[in-house]
Amino acid sequence: MPRLDRLPPLNRNNLLMLPVQINDTAPFTRPAAPLSACRLAIVTTAGLHRRGDRPFGPADQTYRIIPADAPAATIVQSHTSLGFDRVPTMRDLNISFPVDRLRELVARGELGGSAPRHYSFMGAQRELRRIQEETGPEVGRRLREEGVAIALITPT
Amino acid sequence: MLARALETEGIATTSISMVREHSEKVKPPRALFVPFPFGHALGRPDDPDLQHRVLRATLDLLAEPAGPVLRDFPDDAEPGGEPPAPAQASAIAPAASVPEDPALETAQMRQYHEQWMARSGGRTAFGLSGVPATRFRGVVRFLQAFAAGEDPDMAERPADVPLPNFIRYCADDWKALYFEGRLAMKPGATGDDVTRWFWAETAAGHLLRRVRDRLDASQDPRWKAAGFGVAR
Repeated sequence: MPRLDRLPPLNRNNLLMLPVQINDTAPFTRPAAPLSACRLAIVTTAGLHRRGDRPFGPADQTYRIIPADAPAATIVQSHTSLGFDRVPTMRDLNISFPVDRLRELVARGELGGSAPRHYSFMGAQRELRRIQEETGPEVGRRLREEGVAIALITPT
Repeated sequence: MLARALETEGIATTSISMVREHSEKVKPPRALFVPFPFGHALGRPDDPDLQHRVLRATLDLLAEPAGPVLRDFPDDAEPGGEPPAPAQASAIAPAASVPEDPALETAQMRQYHEQWMARSGGRTAFGLSGVPATRFRGVVRFLQAFAAGEDPDMAERPADVPLPNFIRYCADDWKALYFEGRLAMKPGATGDDVTRWFWAETAAGHLLRRVRDRLDASQDPRWKAAGFGVAR
């Protein structure tokens, strides 16, 4: 995103007011193999899902599963905050959900493979306890079971 | 936060960050700060080269021996000259003359939206309310009645979706129809162009301001929140 000092005051203040957790350190898992041997999943906070899946609602800490082969025409975005421009995603899903770019990396041998499923959460949330304690770890376990070593986390 | 939860489960994560100040506090294990406008996480739509550069810089963080790592993407430009955050309705003056009948306008925009669908291979942001575009006149009538202070409802609203949420999904679908229709009309239009056109020149924009006013006037925070999502 833009540097905060380039934002209109209303947007800047909204962002500065958002209560975020302050941490001193981070958990750190080194990938066991080089990228060319790893399977990668996208975990997005862009609120994307298949049309017909239950849309995300306010303060929704659940997640949706997006099969890696789901055609772009079947995917919609129920994260529709007026704080971001929806037109780039309308034009090109890869702007937040770079599935085509991943396929290209796999074809070039730079990435080991795509996961069978990608995962999606709702972004711009104030309360995250359930994601932290329940739904986030649940997705982590699913990824492990699916042989995924790396998660690429993308916002909108 | 999400990255930290996954990392704790043994998944190596690497994130794209849109707000450096937040990432500095939350400390995801690996994050690339990108200086792009909201909505442009990987740079620019239909620009695979830039998207690959962003992706590569994000994936390169996986080689770091220890973390947390927060790195800046080297580019410091806002692609396409887009504003850093979208203009809001409150900052866009309505045009002197706006079409009067939103239902008629919607029928016209649907034709452009069909062109969009034909060009995009069926990709559309439309589809949150569950009401098909062919029956969207009913949604327009519903929103008109709501803005006028009546208490309308729609048979299409699922029992477990509260009214303000349904209104928000209807507004989002309506905007999608117009925004994508406008992109079919003017393929070179930017997000900023389309946003300004929608709030200044359309009957839909005019009606959605009134829908927002009624939601915002409620004491119920869920109504107010829905209003904040319809127009600001």
